Amino acid sequence: METNPVQKGLAGMRMSNESFITLFMIGVLIALFGAACVVVPNFYLPQNMINLLTNNWYIIIVGIGVTFLLITGNFDMSVGGVIALTGVLSVYFCQGANVSRNELANGLGLPYGVAIALALLGAMSVGAINAFFIARLKVPSIIVTLGTMMLARGTAQVITRGAQRNTSLPDVFGVVGNMTIQGTSIKVSVLIMVALVAAAFVLEKLTVFGRRTYLIGANPEAARLSGIKVARHLTWLYILSALLAGITGILLASEFKAGVSSRATGYEFDALVISLLGGVSISGGFGSVLGMFVGAVILSVMTSSATGLLLSPDWQFTLKGVVTFLAILAQRYALDRRKG
Amino acid sequence: MSSTRQESLRKAPDRSEALRAYVKQFYIYVVLLLIVSVFSVVKLGQVPMFGRGHFLSPDSIINLLRAAVPIMTLSGAFTLLMISGYIDLSVGSAMSLSAVVFAWMVLNGFSFLPALAVTLLMGIVMGFLNGHLVMKLRITPVIATLVTLNLFKGIALLIVPDGLSAIKGSATSPMPAWINDYARQGVFLGLPWAFYVAIAVILILIVVQRKTILGKYAVAIGGNRTAAELSGIDAMKYVWLLYVIVGLCAALAGVARASYMSLGDPLSGDGMETDCIIAVLLGGTAFSGGEGSVAKSIVGALIIMCVTTGLMTVIPAFWQTVAKGSVLVIAVVLNHLLVRGRVKA
Amino acid sequence: MGLTENVLEIRDLVKDFPSVRAVNNVSFNIRRNTVHCLVGENGAGKSTLIKILTGALQRTSGRILLNGEEYWARNPREAKEKGISTLFQELNVVDQLTVEENLTLGMEDTTFGFLRRTDKISRIVSVMNSLEPSIHPRQLVSTLSVAKKQIVEIAKAVASESDIIIMDEPTAALSEGEIARLFKIIKGLRERNVTVIYISHRLDEIFEIGDYVTVMRDGRHIDTKPLSEVKDRAELIKMMIGKTVFEQYTPKEGPCGEVVLRVRNLSTHKLRDISFDVHQGEIVGFYGLVGAGKTELARAIYGADPYEGEIWFRGRKLPPSTDRVIAAGLALVPEERRSQGLFSILTVRANVPVMNMKKVSRKGFISAAREREATRAFIDRLRIATSSTEKEAAKLSGGNQQKVVLSKCLFADADLLMLDEPTRGIDVGAKSEIYSIIREISAEGKSILIFSSELPEVINICDTIHLLYDGHLRETIRNGCEIDSERIIHIVTGGA
Repeated sequence: METNPVQKGLAGMRMSNESFITLFMIGVLIALFGAACVVVPNFYLPQNMINLLTNNWYIIIVGIGVTFLLITGNFDMSVGGVIALTGVLSVYFCQGANVSRNELANGLGLPYGVAIALALLGAMSVGAINAFFIARLKVPSIIVTLGTMMLARGTAQVITRGAQRNTSLPDVFGVVGNMTIQGTSIKVSVLIMVALVAAAFVLEKLTVFGRRTYLIGANPEAARLSGIKVARHLTWLYILSALLAGITGILLASEFKAGVSSRATGYEFDALVISLLGGVSISGGFGSVLGMFVGAVILSVMTSSATGLLLSPDWQFTLKGVVTFLAILAQRYALDRRKG
Repeated sequence: MSSTRQESLRKAPDRSEALRAYVKQFYIYVVLLLIVSVFSVVKLGQVPMFGRGHFLSPDSIINLLRAAVPIMTLSGAFTLLMISGYIDLSVGSAMSLSAVVFAWMVLNGFSFLPALAVTLLMGIVMGFLNGHLVMKLRITPVIATLVTLNLFKGIALLIVPDGLSAIKGSATSPMPAWINDYARQGVFLGLPWAFYVAIAVILILIVVQRKTILGKYAVAIGGNRTAAELSGIDAMKYVWLLYVIVGLCAALAGVARASYMSLGDPLSGDGMETDCIIAVLLGGTAFSGGEGSVAKSIVGALIIMCVTTGLMTVIPAFWQTVAKGSVLVIAVVLNHLLVRGRVKA
Repeated sequence: MGLTENVLEIRDLVKDFPSVRAVNNVSFNIRRNTVHCLVGENGAGKSTLIKILTGALQRTSGRILLNGEEYWARNPREAKEKGISTLFQELNVVDQLTVEENLTLGMEDTTFGFLRRTDKISRIVSVMNSLEPSIHPRQLVSTLSVAKKQIVEIAKAVASESDIIIMDEPTAALSEGEIARLFKIIKGLRERNVTVIYISHRLDEIFEIGDYVTVMRDGRHIDTKPLSEVKDRAELIKMMIGKTVFEQYTPKEGPCGEVVLRVRNLSTHKLRDISFDVHQGEIVGFYGLVGAGKTELARAIYGADPYEGEIWFRGRKLPPSTDRVIAAGLALVPEERRSQGLFSILTVRANVPVMNMKKVSRKGFISAAREREATRAFIDRLRIATSSTEKEAAKLSGGNQQKVVLSKCLFADADLLMLDEPTRGIDVGAKSEIYSIIREISAEGKSILIFSSELPEVINICDTIHLLYDGHLRETIRNGCEIDSERIIHIVTGGA
């Protein structure tokens, strides 16, 4: 059985498969980054590198929820719809009431804080619906979440009559999405993203809640026989995922000062891609939000390389498909080799 | 517990099962009837029954059936695949890519049959690829077909020149007018060739399901994989074949769509996979495989078309997504109540 | 070439596993067109032997001759093709197809893929009809009872011209009438050039249906005789037990406490009206052979399956819900450790504290140090062979995996511990380690329920032994006095 020099180098203590895969993908990232620096003009610039880490912030936030669910073996394809819905709701609740003859300029005129809270509540109720069908009725998650995605986005479309709402908003509305950290151009949203990823990592590795997620993913039957309330845990995860999508929706709506019903189209697939790139396994019990973050950066490198090489944005679909496929195979190969 | 109670627990399923089976057989026709009646009645105050503008007027029916061609072409194959316990989420993009390729060929001077042949060949290749990923490389069907979904969509987008939204005619290079003949031009009872081709496909697939070994083995593989393999059935071969058939039907649907719209739109198939899922759910297909019916899925497809076109006359366009989402959720609930599939671990 | 007298000849068959020789130079013959019964206690080697015949396992050495020719099956499908069909406990019929479709599955005649109605179909259906005329070929298999589904499988095996049909505990789920019908069919198979290998621990059935019987014990072949030459049950039982020396049972020091668990009229679709008490500090054993209902009983008490009847623990009624049963103070080491007990891809450290995370966490945050400490304590106490707490559980041997699952349940600090086949697949050394731990725990005042099909095990450690047969609690034995092991086997094989 071959031993990997990396393993030996860690003072004899054997690294877990998960750390191995994360390191493996970091290696892939570095290799890709290196290649991009060579091939793409102006790639090796500090501003560009910062962008690589930050311009995907919204995918990373929803990626947290998607990763947790993927670890238990479930999908959440509704996050894109929830982002749109929450954004639209936050605008609608905030818009002044009876200020204009244009339907789309009139809202409920609620105070900002109340509006945000209600919008997030709306998001979480989508999560609860998901949980009901998946945890209680045991319907396959892919089908249910496709349906709730349509319900959420559809509701957003109804509220915006198929377009968007962006008028009669109080000034405070645009603050949080556009605020930047003192002296830099990094948005507060990015900071929130970092904080959430860090919190998620802590949750994953250091809390009982996180441990239960892995247990359920590794062996749902054993989890049940060990006293874990599986249905209840899944419910929390779906509500959490929806909440994260809701927060993203509010930040985006604030940034653009508009609630757009077509926002976040395809984000659910992107979140899935970065989780898979990061080594999260669909068979359950394996993977980490840290890996998901690495996956997000890999995706960033690929998409900005494509832009830098003056490829049209249409390339991203093919790219995502091929890259995900290669990542799955590469990870499988690496783990098989490791087993010896 | 009395011994008679234990006896009955061990015996064959009892009366509630029989009732459920009975309802399962017929509810979908009832639902279709209901939907058609609702839409027929809704504008009765304003337009005469069967008159112009009414849901059941000849014009309206022809329009509905013409628009229903893609999903009618696809649902049958999709059903067979789901019966075997597998899924293909890339059908929408496969359809779009086929539409793009077909439109491109027509625009560049090829006649109908060569363009059709090439597109169908591509459909077979797409299905073969899906089969390879799922059966040979053993990647979970959901993820494998999400990957190909993006791949096909990407290729379709790349074929369309930058700056254009679709492969379409222009002043200097117009799209030949005959492209419409296949899916728009009425040949019999006002319905186009594409419609009858779709009917033919449906009939063929019904025969496949009931009278061929592929249909039987799909049920065996989906119903009890171990028993099927113990009996010597090579699951890989048959499921692979089903994926190829789905790819072929997606290509056919794409040709119909391109013909209908006179252009190849790389996004025209978006959402088709959801429509297929709703159709097969309404038709009583079990998530876990082993159960399903091509004929009933087609009825399910008609129900979706009626709902979407019917709603278009009554409610503004931006209600469509919510409506479809609700239909999906209702279909899921109905399916859950009536179809007692195996619980997947 | 004429047919040989013996349809199957087994010569010096050996099967070794890493820690045990499961089949030890077994040789015997099976005569053509007979019903040949295979009996033996748990661990006697008969299931291993059968698995070799069906291709589920590969032999270590030895020869098998089928119809005089060398026989080797690499998987169950090959075994079937070569003429050995098996009726498994999990029925291998497709519910969603009709009887006819199931009978012809894999054997259809087709033209360009179209199914053809040929004579083959009517031939196969007539085989089915001659076995059981009340089954209509066009009905869906899902509408059939378990007994009839079995008959469909038998018909299929006969129609595919199998030389041998192996039936493994086929009567476990059947009523008396259905058993009678099955036996009639089995007897008729002899006239159809089919040999039946019948495995069962229900000795009455053996006498009723068998022509020959082979007894195995401890992996060895004891004897093969015509049943006409076997005097009675007792003779068979003697062959099954032989001179097994049971380890000395150490009687309990001091009296047992008051009743902690009270089970009354527990019934499921398998169990019938079971009632018993468990005292504090008592080790209660449930002994029975395959299909007796041990796992069903354990799972019912644990709330994992529905039941009728009542269970009281420490004066409070136990609800039929696993997490509440665990909260009340019970824990179960399940029968199938890999699929039900262990989290294979996680580390040992992640596996151990699962049932009592409060002890290694504070306000929801896990203390890795406390986890490692607790895990190491169990590694030492149970002598789990692992170099570190971070090893992936899947990489441990079966015995060590079981110790991890046991650690998990011990960590739960349950007042009542249930162990379902606690030492299955574990080597002798580890077995005695586990037994002494069980004794330690009961000395601490915990009560223990052991569900086992290994008689030496229950006699070794249990204070009270309940004998189960076919879902009934047949007899209760107080350990400590003279154990009549022959009487025990007599009861668990259906004797009165």
